Amino acid sequence: MGDGPPKVKLIEPPHPLREKVGPPGKGGVTAEMLARAEQVVAEMAETFHDWAKEDVASIQKACDGLEAAPSAAAAADHLERVFGVAHDLKGQGGSFGYPLITQVGNALCRLVETLEAPGPREIEAIRLHVDAIRLIIANRMTGDGGPEGERLVRGLDLVLRKL
Amino acid sequence: MQDRDLSGQKILVVEDNFHFRKLLVTILGHIGVAEIREASDGREALEILKTFAADLAIIDWKMDGMDGLECVRRIRRDEETGTRRIPVLMVTGYDENQVMERARDAGANDILVKPISPRGLMRSLGQVIEAPNAFIETEDYVGPDRRRLKAAFEGTEKRYAEPEGLPQGS
Repeated sequence: MGDGPPKVKLIEPPHPLREKVGPPGKGGVTAEMLARAEQVVAEMAETFHDWAKEDVASIQKACDGLEAAPSAAAAADHLERVFGVAHDLKGQGGSFGYPLITQVGNALCRLVETLEAPGPREIEAIRLHVDAIRLIIANRMTGDGGPEGERLVRGLDLVLRKL
Repeated sequence: MQDRDLSGQKILVVEDNFHFRKLLVTILGHIGVAEIREASDGREALEILKTFAADLAIIDWKMDGMDGLECVRRIRRDEETGTRRIPVLMVTGYDENQVMERARDAGANDILVKPISPRGLMRSLGQVIEAPNAFIETEDYVGPDRRRLKAAFEGTEKRYAEPEGLPQGS
């Protein structure tokens, strides 16, 4: 501990941002503007499956690398790649109308972050998650995916329990 | 918040994923934010802030290159650009409490967990804009006063409230 009390500087805000934003009721964000924003995001979702396919291909390539990795260090690089893309898909899925991708992407992230040196069973589990995401995209399973989506999630859950 | 005018705002969006960055910029544009600048990592964001007097920054946590945490820490320690006290909304795919605390300890004002929607983004911007956070400078921490974030919430938590519109006894 030092001799005196720690130096703390507390600056009470003039709140420039709140003042600059302007008071409610003057040319603000209307329900119509929000509805239009939602519509445009929905239109962007039309192309989501195109770039999501690229992400899936990227994870599959990382899985191939994982299987062929000659060392734990090499495997770690591929795992990091799998995690990075799964994390992106997790964030994007629900934002573009595919919450099922967010759900499966989250499960994949949780799986990958616990692995250090994955064996064949763990790599197979990763591939099954990637296949599930590919299926969701191919069949355009928006929303919760209905009964098929439920079956998919339940199946993946069983795979994880058996690891 | 919904009817506040955002047309005078300058917002910096820092996100390495092109599609997600486009999503954020699109929403901001449609809710009336006039001036939006984009950066694809923390280092580019710090460069932009040298000449762009942002009113608020939306920063992704996990980025290739300099990540969001480091970017916020550097913004808070930068005494030259005049933007060290700008409100920062951190966007993240992580949703664990521990992660939230790390973002706040880095100096983020608030956190928005992906996936996001126009309404969710608006709500988070509203919280950042309305919150009158004092700014703290100590040897270990520079950023908004975190005591507000740790204060007990006195309202009714929605998840514990009785649902509306359901028949009695259901």
